[in-house]
This record gives sequence, structure tokens and C-alpha cells, in this order.
Amino acid sequence: MEQPVLQAKDLYFSYDGKVNALDGVSLDIHAGERIAVLGPNGAGKSTFFLCLNGVLTPARGEIVLDGRPVDKKGRKRLCERAGIVFQNADDQIIASTVAAEVSFGPMNLRLPKDEVARRVDHALDYMDLQAFRARPPHELSGGEKKRVTIADILAMESEVILFDEPAASLDPAGEERLEGVLGRLSAGGRTLVISTHDMDFAFRWATRAVVFAGGKIIADGAPETVFRDAETLRRAHLKPPMLLGVFELLRARGLAPADAACPASVEGLAALLDGAEPPACGR
Amino acid sequence: MRHAHHTHGVRSIDHLAYTSGMGGWNPAFKTALALGTLVICLAADRPAVSAAVILALAALQKAKGGLALHDYLGLLRVPLAFLLLGGLAVACDLSRVPAGDWSLSLHWFYVCAGADSVRFAAALVLKSLGAVSALYLLALTTTACEFVGVLRRLHLPGLLTELMYLIYRFVFVLLDTHGRMREAAGARLGWRDFRTSCRSFGGTAAGLLLVALRKSRAYYDAMAARGYDGGLAFLEEDKPLHAPQLVWMAAFWAALILLRILTA
Repeated sequence: MEQPVLQAKDLYFSYDGKVNALDGVSLDIHAGERIAVLGPNGAGKSTFFLCLNGVLTPARGEIVLDGRPVDKKGRKRLCERAGIVFQNADDQIIASTVAAEVSFGPMNLRLPKDEVARRVDHALDYMDLQAFRARPPHELSGGEKKRVTIADILAMESEVILFDEPAASLDPAGEERLEGVLGRLSAGGRTLVISTHDMDFAFRWATRAVVFAGGKIIADGAPETVFRDAETLRRAHLKPPMLLGVFELLRARGLAPADAACPASVEGLAALLDGAEPPACGR
Repeated sequence: MRHAHHTHGVRSIDHLAYTSGMGGWNPAFKTALALGTLVICLAADRPAVSAAVILALAALQKAKGGLALHDYLGLLRVPLAFLLLGGLAVACDLSRVPAGDWSLSLHWFYVCAGADSVRFAAALVLKSLGAVSALYLLALTTTACEFVGVLRRLHLPGLLTELMYLIYRFVFVLLDTHGRMREAAGARLGWRDFRTSCRSFGGTAAGLLLVALRKSRAYYDAMAARGYDGGLAFLEEDKPLHAPQLVWMAAFWAALILLRILTA
């Protein structure tokens, strides 16, 4: 098996010294994966992200980047390779214009000015933000701010991007736009790790689902396998995606082939019911 | 999306600075123009020079900044009210007996004013208004972060400029938060009478402190996640200085100084 890009090995972390926010978490992240991180609030998802990017130093355990453990000196490299898009855009945006904001990461990488300018331009183009470049962040809408925070990380050219509940506070149009961006990023070879409460999104989008509960990973596998495990769903207070329920119902009534796997999207289900090959989109 | 704020205040000045037609001018040049004009206006100490500064800068804001005259006058209203009240105090004297050129009897005492004192007060008001116009030239065309950039290039300590930068951003985050808290308090009749309003105000202020503390931690995490290691650095857009602008500035200043000599 190829070398994982990023590995967490037996991480322990506690904010107050009493309760472990991370209680022995291990995860291998391979290049090009689309991982959905699921679990209730307070299960340790955000803490895990902060450890993966080097902001928090775990009390025990280590982060391994390209097969080499990350020490204090390697922290900067970790920031560069694995970027976080924070849940609340207002907690992430610090500069007073969009262009300055996007330049903050590359400037911290101590890149030459031309290179910073090139990356800022590219990230603004990618997120369709050129029209906003000289605007102050407090005049942007929630969806526009979210795009700025994604451009922030794109400008750092991180291979692994960790999204902490990116769809929270987005309207349906914003969510659709976000999913389009995620699709493009994934097609461009980025490794994406997304924490989410949207089971339908996780089911249709992810190649792998990881479930957190009480600071531990309690399930890790193909989304369909994870969502079919009633015990995991009960422990993490998750609901199965609607498509899976519908598919089960159709199968029970003999309307869908008994041996087929559940398609990832409504289009896939339609194709299955028509007896055609499912489209190549999604999984 | 929050668009143009037509109320006068921090937000409107900030918004005007971002949308000003002079936004593309070199910020150091605008700072020099504003401060130089301010110094000339104060040092010349002639009503004619002050009036010339006021009119010229208003014309500049209108022609090059694209600022509606109505908005500009609206923004000048508050300082103007203070200046007029101050000027009145300078012009008038209180006395038990009629004195000066005009006296107004108020039964127990007289409010008196002499032609000289009125002239002096008028000159003072004009001079102050000229100074305000010069500072408005800076405030309405240069964004706060660009001005901080100018200060940084003048070698103001990094700690101060970084603090200014973060405070500026924080002011708007906290304004938003406070606005939401006010609405939430209002939705529960928090402002129904004076006593309740006092309590609600205390509550929102305390809440704001907690939010600020929580946010400072979140901000730090987010900055660290992008490789922050103790120095705030942003890419500044290059805004070149154009030679004709320098020529115009020199001509403007020369005209003001000439006016000062002619009215000696």
C-alpha cells in the first residue's frame, strides 16, 4: 500500500486536563481521498483537525507527514501541507481587504512577493472573487466570506484541505456552489477531509466515512458500510442518509435488484431502476 | 449582503473610503497632501487661505473622489456644529453693562460682541473647518489598513501597527455581534423602559466581553493554522505615484502660499 500523506498515530489531547477531547485517535489519510468526518458536536472533530494541522500539540501520539514524524520545526511545513477552513468564517478572516486576507498564508510561508501575488490571483480566480479583491470582509455576505476562507487555503497550495463543517451557515445555493468547488478540488488531485452533519452529502460525496464519538474513532470505512452499521449510528447519534432508506425500501418491495449496492446519488438510483449503468459521478 | 450605509458614522466613513474614486491613488501621497495642506492652512492663519482650502478640497472630493456633495456636507455637519458653538463662545462676552459693538440684554446681564471678536471667531471657525476638510480628505479616500501601511513605512513599531490592524477588523466583528445581541434583547422587550434598558445594556456589554475573549482564541488558532509566527504580513497592492499628481500638489500649495502673501 502506498505511503499515506498524513497520519495521526494514537493522539491524545485534553483542554482541561480532565476530559480527553481526543482519546487515542489514529487515522491514515491517503492522497486523493474524500473523507467525511461524522459525529455529534463535542466528539473531537475540530480538535482533531487542529492537531492534524499543527495548531494544537497532542499530549501523546504523533502526526506523521509523508512517513516522517512532525517535530516542532516541522510544524510550519505541516501548516503548509494541510490547511484548515474554519467553521466560522469571521473567526478566520483577519485582514481588511479580501486580497490582503488571501495573501496572509503565502506571506507567512515567506514566499517572494511575485509568487504571493500570483497565488492570490489564482485563488481569487478559482473562487470567483476577483470582483471583491479590494473590498473589506465586513461588507461580504456569509457565502462570500466562506469563499474567501477557502481561497485563503488555496493560496497556500495545501495538498490536504480540512473543512470544519463548511456548509453550516450556507444557504442552499451556497451549498451547491460549495459542492461544485469540492468536486473541482477533488478532480484536481487534492485530498479533502470534511466534517459535516449532513448525512446525505457525506453519503453521495465521500469515498470514506470516519465516525467520531467521545474523542475516539468508532467507525472508519466505505460510507455505505458505515451507514448500514446500526450500532455505530446509535453510538454517534447519526441518522442514515435518506437515499439509503429509500433504496432499502425499494429493495424490500422488490423494485430494486437485490444484489445491487446502494447508488450514491438520486441520478444513480434512477439509472439503476432503469436498468442502465449508473453514471460515473460520485462514487 | 450589507450594502451602502446611509447613516453617518464609522461604517459610512469606512464604506466611502473603500468606494472612493481616489482609492487607487498612492496612500502615502494622499497622506502627504492632507497633512501638508493641514499645516499650510494652520500656519497661514488667513481666512482667505482657509476658505480656499475648504473649497478646493470639497471640489477635489466631488470631482476626483466621486463623493456626492450632499454626503460630504452631511459628514461635515457634526464638526461644523461644534465649531459654530465654539466660535460663538469665542465671539461673545458676558458683561453687567453694555459693551462692544452689539449687546443683547438678558435682564441680569448682557451678551456682548465686538466687530473684532466676531471677525476673529469667524477666522478661527474657517481655519478649523479647513483643517477638518484636510483630514476628511485622508479619512474619506484612504482605507484604515492602507493608512496603517503608511505608518508602518514611517517605521512606527510593528506592535502598534499590528494592533491597529487587528483592532480595526475586530471593531466590525464586535459591532456585528453587538448588533445581533441588541436585536435579541429587543425581541424579548429588553428596551421597554429605562430600568430594563440599563439591565439589557449591562448584559450585552458583559456578553460582548465574553465573546471577545472567545473570539481572540479562535482568531489565534486560525492565524496559527496559516503559519502565523509573530509577524502580521499582508500583500499590499502597488499603487504607483503619478508625476502629474505631484505637480498638482506643488501648484496647489504654491497657490495657497501666494494667497497668504497677497493677503499679508
